[in-house]
Amino acid sequence: MPIERFLLGCAGVVWLMASPVLCADAAPRPDQVPSFNRDVRPILASKCFECHGPDEESREADLRLDTREGATADLGGSRALSPGDPESSEMVARMLSDDPDEKMPPPDSGKSLTAAQIETLSRWITGGGKYERHWAFIPPERPAAPVVKTTNWPRNEIDAFVLARLESQGLKPSPEADRYTLVRRVYLDLIGLPPSPEQADAFVLDRDPQAYENLVDRLLRSKHYGERWARQWLDLARYSDTNGYEKDRQRSIWPYRDWVINALNEDMPFDQFTIEQLAGDMLPGAMLEQRIATGFHRNTMLNEEGGIDPLEYRFYAMVDRVATTGTLWMGLTVGCAQCHSHKYDPITHTDYYRMLALLDNADEPDLSVPYPAIAKDRERIEAEIVKHEAELAGQFPPASGEGSVDERRERKLEAHFTEWLEAEQSRAVNWTTLRPSHLKTNLPKLELLDDESIFSSGDITKRDVFTLTFPLGELSAPATALRLEVLPDERLPAGGPGRAYYEGRKGDFFLSEITATAGGQPVTFASASASYGKIAIGSGNADAQNVFDGNGSTGWSTAEREGEPHQLVLNLQTPVAAAGDLQLVFVFERHFAASLGRFRVSATTASGEPTASAVPVDLEALLARDSSSWTDSDRIAQKKYFLSVTPQLAEARKKLDELRSQLPKFPTTMVMQERPVDNPRKTFRHHRGEYLQTREDVAPGAPAVFRSLGQDEPTNRLAFARWLVSRSNPLVGRVTVNRAWRALFGNGLVRTSGDFGTQADPPTHPELLDWLAREFVEQGWSLKKLHRLIVTSATYRQSSRVTTELIARDAGNRLLARGPRTRVDAEMVRDMILSASGLLSDKVGGKSVYPPQPDSVTALAYGDTKWPVSAGEDRYRRSLYTFSKRTAPFAAYAVFDAPSGENCTARRDRSNTPLQALTLLNDEMFLELARALARTAVDQQPTSTASASADGRATFLFRRLLTRPPDDGELEALLEFVQSQRSRLKNGELDATLICGEEDASAELAAWIMLARAIMNFDETITKQ
Amino acid sequence: MDHVGSCDHELRRNHHEAVDHTVFDHTVFDHTVFDHTVFDHTVFDHTVFDHTVFDYIAATGRALDSIDVRREQKAMNTEFLKLQTRRHFFNDCGVGLGKIALASLLSGGAAGSSIAAPASRPSPTSPQPPHFPARAKRVIYLFMAGAPSQLELFDYKPKLVELEGKPIPPSVVKGQRYAFIQPDAAVLAPRFRFKKHGDSGAELSEMLPHLAGIVDDVSFVRSAHTDLFNHSPAQLFVNTGSGIPGRPSMGSWLSYGLGSEANDLPSFVVLKSGGSLSGGASMWSAGFLPSTHQGVPFRGQGDPILHVSNPPGYDMRAQRDSLDLIQRQNRKRLGVVGDPEILTRINAYEMAYRMQTRAPELMDFSQETAETVSMYGAESGNSKQAFANNCLLARRLAERGVRFIQVYHAGWDHHSNVEGGVRAQCRQTDQACAALIRDLKQRGLLDDTLVVWGGEFGRTPMVETSAALGRSMGRDHHPQAFTMWFAGGGIRPGVSLGRTDELGFHVAEDPVHVHDVQATILHCLGIDHRRLTFRFRGLNFRLTGVEENAPVEGLLA
Repeated sequence: MPIERFLLGCAGVVWLMASPVLCADAAPRPDQVPSFNRDVRPILASKCFECHGPDEESREADLRLDTREGATADLGGSRALSPGDPESSEMVARMLSDDPDEKMPPPDSGKSLTAAQIETLSRWITGGGKYERHWAFIPPERPAAPVVKTTNWPRNEIDAFVLARLESQGLKPSPEADRYTLVRRVYLDLIGLPPSPEQADAFVLDRDPQAYENLVDRLLRSKHYGERWARQWLDLARYSDTNGYEKDRQRSIWPYRDWVINALNEDMPFDQFTIEQLAGDMLPGAMLEQRIATGFHRNTMLNEEGGIDPLEYRFYAMVDRVATTGTLWMGLTVGCAQCHSHKYDPITHTDYYRMLALLDNADEPDLSVPYPAIAKDRERIEAEIVKHEAELAGQFPPASGEGSVDERRERKLEAHFTEWLEAEQSRAVNWTTLRPSHLKTNLPKLELLDDESIFSSGDITKRDVFTLTFPLGELSAPATALRLEVLPDERLPAGGPGRAYYEGRKGDFFLSEITATAGGQPVTFASASASYGKIAIGSGNADAQNVFDGNGSTGWSTAEREGEPHQLVLNLQTPVAAAGDLQLVFVFERHFAASLGRFRVSATTASGEPTASAVPVDLEALLARDSSSWTDSDRIAQKKYFLSVTPQLAEARKKLDELRSQLPKFPTTMVMQERPVDNPRKTFRHHRGEYLQTREDVAPGAPAVFRSLGQDEPTNRLAFARWLVSRSNPLVGRVTVNRAWRALFGNGLVRTSGDFGTQADPPTHPELLDWLAREFVEQGWSLKKLHRLIVTSATYRQSSRVTTELIARDAGNRLLARGPRTRVDAEMVRDMILSASGLLSDKVGGKSVYPPQPDSVTALAYGDTKWPVSAGEDRYRRSLYTFSKRTAPFAAYAVFDAPSGENCTARRDRSNTPLQALTLLNDEMFLELARALARTAVDQQPTSTASASADGRATFLFRRLLTRPPDDGELEALLEFVQSQRSRLKNGELDATLICGEEDASAELAAWIMLARAIMNFDETITKQ
Repeated sequence: MDHVGSCDHELRRNHHEAVDHTVFDHTVFDHTVFDHTVFDHTVFDHTVFDHTVFDYIAATGRALDSIDVRREQKAMNTEFLKLQTRRHFFNDCGVGLGKIALASLLSGGAAGSSIAAPASRPSPTSPQPPHFPARAKRVIYLFMAGAPSQLELFDYKPKLVELEGKPIPPSVVKGQRYAFIQPDAAVLAPRFRFKKHGDSGAELSEMLPHLAGIVDDVSFVRSAHTDLFNHSPAQLFVNTGSGIPGRPSMGSWLSYGLGSEANDLPSFVVLKSGGSLSGGASMWSAGFLPSTHQGVPFRGQGDPILHVSNPPGYDMRAQRDSLDLIQRQNRKRLGVVGDPEILTRINAYEMAYRMQTRAPELMDFSQETAETVSMYGAESGNSKQAFANNCLLARRLAERGVRFIQVYHAGWDHHSNVEGGVRAQCRQTDQACAALIRDLKQRGLLDDTLVVWGGEFGRTPMVETSAALGRSMGRDHHPQAFTMWFAGGGIRPGVSLGRTDELGFHVAEDPVHVHDVQATILHCLGIDHRRLTFRFRGLNFRLTGVEENAPVEGLLA
């Protein structure tokens, strides 16, 4: 980059520090009119807006001070703000008043103004009392880079902005970090793993002036780049492998996690990255991958505790989705407006629910992901099944007697088949499907499908009631029995037939009661039968008669055979005339929502007492017909079914059952699915943010404050997603680049990463923030380009060493006069040590895994959960893939401040605690890595000359963990330690077998293991500097 | 050693200079900030600084009206003091500080003084003064998870005997949501006999003979009520003030607000017995508070604190040798890169080492007299006596200055056979609860230890029966009314507060919301619940939510 020319082009631009930060006294000079955004708003926001701000419900005296109209409004003779005239401004009089009833803020509010603050406000009023939009709500423009004195320092525009600021403060940047520090820093930042000593040396020795840039480009191409940056995104997405709350059961959403890794590795533009995650399902011709991406907002928690109100917890999930969307793409604490209008930012209570409505109109199914490798396995096994089915007849046991084996076999098969057929024929009755004229429910939507079955969609509750009306006119004679078929459907959880999706088995249902009336008269059931019945959870039975025993707590259910059709037959006490309407009422009442998803009702006029049959209904219909009408293919179907049930082949079919059990299932992932147009979900405003207190319904839309900026107002999820990454949203670029800055520098240019509102910390470098925000968009929303831009700046490349002077001037490094130095994130702590040990698996993606930790960690969770430690490669996968259980987070990560997936986390803590020390010192997981590392050191450095090999080993261990070579003093200390431990081991004070964890351990190896463990605990090991 | 002494002296002097030379606006400083207690413990506290937005405060001049602001303010001072200390450290002591000197700096203070040497407790859990004088210094919270039946234990309702088998009038149950039953379920009479006890005349079930023996030391609230009717949210609500996971727990709030009195144990310890806990780890989470305030669960098996034991083969000397190498290297790096965070890490490693040396002694009940052990019914290593063991351990933790000791006992969720269930649970808990009060009292600890007993909600006057779940003669969840008891620091003993209607359904007198209970607990510890706040996602969060809640006056001593 031709910096000189670039800087020349900017000459003459007046650019003075506009940010108030770092000045202890924010008051402007007396000859200046205070700036509203810089000087005035912070005072008003913290002292006045709570009672005189955007929230109409808590507004006192009808006065609002957050708008000029409000502040200058006539208050019956007086005005809070008289522009240019503090003396006739009521607010000044009130601030100066001694009368406790008059004084503002009221003395009992705990807020008070300093003399300097009153002075600032007065001078602002004198200067005209002008209001400005909050800086973050003004779309960023691309500022020209400022002119700097030290023209040979900047490497790109970032540096011009940073240096100008430093120079205005009389500070100099720090020198560039040494090559070892730099290579380690940029490896950790871009791929989350340390360089090997060889990789580091290669860079250090590389004389190409572009060596660093080339390295950066290589790292940006690494498949580990996506893994490192996915972790940050997953914090925001509140990703977890479990549902949260009491049971905290496992969920399957890792395909979404892999989608994030892939998208980042492919450098998917951030606008597309956004749209696909928020509304990929609504894109025209949505691809599988785009649907997987919508898992983003499915990462909310799901309460599966028995007895909850499922819609209540869906509401809380929606609240989380709004807050997360606000934090992530708008940098606004919109969640504040859940209960009332925002106290500080211009988000009204209605705005909040309009935003919620934008996200609200979706169903939340599981999506089966047909990974090709699994599909191939399935095809192979299915082919085998077909082959074995075709061979069944050939395995029928032959009859005794004369003839060839085949003849005897054929004879016996035919005899048994005929016997079976006759029995089934006499049992089969003719059923007429009843076509409903009316379908009514408490909430779910029922629709009639082409096969006259009924399909349920929309929301369900713990007590669903279906009221179904069937005209009986088509029957030829009075009805004697009714048949209810419960049917599978791929749209239902686990394929149906029920809609249970939490607490109970997925796809289960629980039919408590059926009542019937015909022509307004009650119909009595005499008996009932079911083809299959089983209840999941509890000890009750699933007898068919339960549906008419008048007891809601008994019922019929077909648990454990989801995805299959079943039937229930009800025999009527007295036949019902073939005229008028039959009304059936189904009640589904359980401690979880479990109504039917798809079903069909038929009636028969047959006499006798028809019973439910396991024979498929088509076949039963065939059997009920006169045999003279059977075609050849009818007979083949009958035979095929017979072979699948006859006890004669029970043994032969075992192989088939085995094959079926081996069929690998496709993994599922949780996605969003926009609801059909004929059944939209209504969204209401909730008084005080409470689930039960619904008020008027609201139309979807963006917050009013941004409306003037936009062309088209979004009215659905897809439009909202597009709106978020458009010019209409002034925040998205700033928020996104700020997050990248935070990840690389430890702090954002705006410290409050998730909050850019009026209460937020103003940016340290506002022009730089805006420049980056524009540059990011102009460079095609490329995160890789953004990361490259930052890490190739001179600002980033500075040494992180700090002088006492610098601490005095800028303890928090807000001016960026030095490079970043922070303890790495929890997952990186382990990944770095895994990498050093040589055990790290470099496999990308797949199901989450279980690295070793004591069972006692998860035993604290509900149900005494076990931690099934992974074997083989999975034991050493990157920490990103560790199974994340919300109510019992992986202990070694939790202790280093990893989030547990309960909140969208824009900023992790960086604590420094004794429990971290205990973990790194004593956790078996880390000890195992120390052993592996030391073993490599001992193996790679043979003991030819003792002292040279000791130096070599110590250096090897040190460099694997710290990258740089030890200096002489350090080396000496390491060797001294090894020597003293070695002698303790040799004289029997320490037991090498225990330390090495193996029988044939040597004192030598044990001593090196002890050293590896100690170096793992150096501050520098877990620090990016 | 002399040299160390002079360093020490130097530090104190420097800190007074800090006051004189401060670049910050004097008016924002509260003088207590410079009190030795605070200063001494925070001088190297970079961690606190990391969690604050002190520049933001300086820029916006926000009101200094809550503890989080006090912390931020303190952080400003800390930053400055750190600078002073660092300057001193480099200029005067040099970086070649010997092992002994450092060990002394770190080892926990001058003999006989409650105020440790500077830099000895560089942690965000350093003690802080309360808002007003505290009556209690610590809390032992006996959380009866699953929700015990108040109707079988504390709240005797003869009317239920009369009405047994009949439904409760629709006017009473109207609009209520239940977890398992329909609101028109029949009434179930109390399963046990009740009797009045002690001078206070508190009426208790025959299932609580031990509690009856100390009844005058205890105060009952029969009018507690909550917002939530499912276990996980309701347990979270009691522990964190919110039914949604992710908020800071009470113990975390106290650790954050008051700091810790223990320098070799965590400030917030979690003990557990009985069955599963519905609320899970979220109940002792620090939420959005700095994560160092999260509760530390003691494990039933293995190390009480995860990884507190040395690995196999390492004796204490090997551990010390390793630590010496680590600390030597860290000091060296501190000299090179100058990051004060390294000093925090040096201190964290020393405290870890102290925890390791103290943990075995803490768990060793053989130091207790046989009389004490049998009073609790404790039996080390016997999992059937886990609750009794935990009560005894709770006392030992209280003695060692742990701020918040959360004792969970799960197993009170009696949807079926409430009679048998309550009987079994009382057998496991009644004796140890009473012994804990007696033991604290005889040691003089009850005066400044607050003991709280209660579950997450109550149980229905109506019976729960379900064929599908195989349940009968049980009671469902009932958020409208339940009973809790309190004893010790800040509590007026012998009080019976609140009354339910004749069906035990609704509160009829002196309702006490869960947030009131939390406000009461904070009050006993000298904290105004309205002023203990933390800013997160644009809101000043507090434990007790946004509604107007208050400490229960009638309970306070």
